Amino acid sequence: MTPALASGGGPVIPNFGQGSSCEIHNGWFCTDWVRAHWGDTLQPALVQHVELAAIAVAIGFVLASALAFAGFRFRLLDPPIGFFADFLYTIPSLALFQLLVPLTGLTVTTVEIALVSYTLLILYRNMIEGLRGVPPDALEAARGSGFTRLQTLVHVELPLALPAVIAGLRIATVSTISIATVAAFVIPEGLGRPIFVALEQEVFKTEILTAGGLAVLLALSADAVLVLAQRALTPWSRLERRA
Amino acid sequence: MLADQFEPGTFVDAFRFIGHNAGFLLQKSGEHLELSLTALGIALLLSLPLGLWLGHRHRGLFFAVSVSNVGRALPSLVLIAVGLTIFGIGFWNNTAALVVLAVPPILTNAYFAIDGVDRDVVEAARGMGLGELQVLWRVELPLGLPLVIAGIRIAVIFVIATATIAAIAGGGGLGEIIVDQPSYGLSGVVAASLCVSALAFLAALLLSLLLRQMSRRPGPIP
Amino acid sequence: MIRKHTRRAAKAVFAISLGVAIVLGGTATAAPKKTAAAPTIVVGTKNFTEEYILGQLYKQALEGAGFKVSYKESIGSSELIDTAITSGKINFYPEYTGVIVQDLAKKKSPSSAAATFAAAKKFEETRGLTLLNATPFYDTDSFGMLTSTAKKLGVKTIADMKKVKSFSFAGYPECKTRITCLLGLKQVYGLTQVQFVPLASISVYTLLDQGKITAGDVFSTDPQLAGTKYTILVDTNHIFGFQNVAPVVSQKLLSAAGPKFAQIVNAVSAKLTLQAMIAMNKAVAIDKATPAAVAAGFLKANNLK
Repeated sequence: MTPALASGGGPVIPNFGQGSSCEIHNGWFCTDWVRAHWGDTLQPALVQHVELAAIAVAIGFVLASALAFAGFRFRLLDPPIGFFADFLYTIPSLALFQLLVPLTGLTVTTVEIALVSYTLLILYRNMIEGLRGVPPDALEAARGSGFTRLQTLVHVELPLALPAVIAGLRIATVSTISIATVAAFVIPEGLGRPIFVALEQEVFKTEILTAGGLAVLLALSADAVLVLAQRALTPWSRLERRA
Repeated sequence: MLADQFEPGTFVDAFRFIGHNAGFLLQKSGEHLELSLTALGIALLLSLPLGLWLGHRHRGLFFAVSVSNVGRALPSLVLIAVGLTIFGIGFWNNTAALVVLAVPPILTNAYFAIDGVDRDVVEAARGMGLGELQVLWRVELPLGLPLVIAGIRIAVIFVIATATIAAIAGGGGLGEIIVDQPSYGLSGVVAASLCVSALAFLAALLLSLLLRQMSRRPGPIP
Repeated sequence: MIRKHTRRAAKAVFAISLGVAIVLGGTATAAPKKTAAAPTIVVGTKNFTEEYILGQLYKQALEGAGFKVSYKESIGSSELIDTAITSGKINFYPEYTGVIVQDLAKKKSPSSAAATFAAAKKFEETRGLTLLNATPFYDTDSFGMLTSTAKKLGVKTIADMKKVKSFSFAGYPECKTRITCLLGLKQVYGLTQVQFVPLASISVYTLLDQGKITAGDVFSTDPQLAGTKYTILVDTNHIFGFQNVAPVVSQKLLSAAGPKFAQIVNAVSAKLTLQAMIAMNKAVAIDKATPAAVAAGFLKANNLK
């Protein structure tokens, strides 16, 4: 009773090989699975994840800078921007992704808009606090030296705000890498994808632990890199701490 | 019920959803709070005393900072999935994951709050004959309270928002609606999300009020 | 005092990140919209293992024949992916004929697989789509439970469940409103005492294994059913319908892609017997191979790549 059965005999069913005993019985960590699937599953997911996070942080940084300047220069703007940012942060990422889907489809764009939003809040707060935290003495000194408004901004305020900015960048980067795992709920990209697939495959432990472990390592590495950058760009903060 | 179009109408629909399903949303909010508050309670028990004591002794800076760094690097989805592998579906898999998420802000903030109290004030208190625990309870904690509560506030918002993902692993709560757009439609997702935000705001507000209330206690003269 | 190199460093940081953002933004938006002569086949799949395998089979066969294929995996349930194809976001996806007739067209199940295929094709053709040939294999929803549970409750058919006071039944969210699933259980079998447990990301078998549900919506080609651990109850009222797979394609794509397109797709479909599909499902679900690798192996063994 099968419609439209074409000519020819039955198919050749190749031997797909059997999974190792570890894989079949869902052991805690099957090294053969990791070795076999690094290239086709784990590495692509890792690369996608890095891309998602990097783009989000980069764009978030630019937008946050603009907003921070605006909120810093025009004080009236700060409360509404700040409030909007706080509200956005209470929206669960799962919900924000789904809300954007009808607008921008099941695409990377949707994920990026959401990730950028979360990045914005952290960076905005830190940048504004950084700019506000510039000691009045430094501003006095600049004015005394005859700096223009722009020169003060570029030569005094920005460098002194730098520690706060980089601190914010650290938090934003790690958070973005973390939230990007949930992106796999809408598009099959990033390290969240192997996790979701593993959950459906009767909670396949190895895949969850490997993909999850990679996400954690990625976040820690990014954090470490930024710490080094922070030390390199703000050597005086190290002296302060020693004092 | 399918890929609804997102327009201002969606928010109207969301409020209509809330109106029609108030009881259901309330029940789910209750589940949501139950999970969140249990996790927060356990986290507080585990990390608050530890953070306060370490800060008091000015020991464990590296530990406090590392807990914060590592804690931030743990994606909630990973914790939920790992919780599932360890505990199977039930009460503990999601609770454990949320506890792990809540500990870092509470512990780190408690540490820095107490560690950062003016040493002269602490010395003066010791000079007056107060024991170590009294110094912590009557001098350091009141002075460091804002930062301690700030850390708890962060943990509360974080846990309430993250409890939605727990629905993936059978956690129930408002997340159950948010992950199930096919059943509840986009209006349902928006409605449940608004409820989560409302819960988070309420909790943060309560904590701010609590802080103000506790700050009114007679404490040391700063 | 602020050191000169730190000033420069700060400026550099801002400049570099601005530049990076601009470049990344530029490359993202500049992704060219392909308006080439040959049409791009945008293959979509639903969100479970068998669909991933089917998607890969058709995708790789078409790519091997020189077609340009864009692949959108795991779009969602039938209802969601149907919206995707009617709105033009994809133009090809594998669907189950019974689901089209009963759940999308909301019509009564015809009494044979051939009639179901014909009815499905007629329905899709009213919407600018059509069906290519159906596969020999079929994959219906099934009422599954642990064999131990079935023995304990003393049930062999779904109708037997009427004597159970209350029980839980897990399924994908869309199961709730489908006559080929929960709705059928309630309306056709009169099992009003069932409590529905929607699945978010966990498989039915995990829930069954951990004793969290009495029964669940399983697929008849699931490799887990090969052993004796699980049992499916007999669907005497035939609510699950006839569910051969047939690729849904947009008529525009069919005419633009030429006769070779349909030829290739039909050649693949013809080889998908029940045995083949179960073997491929097993390789992915049990032996943890990837759908892409399994599809590649099958196509190569049958000279379809």
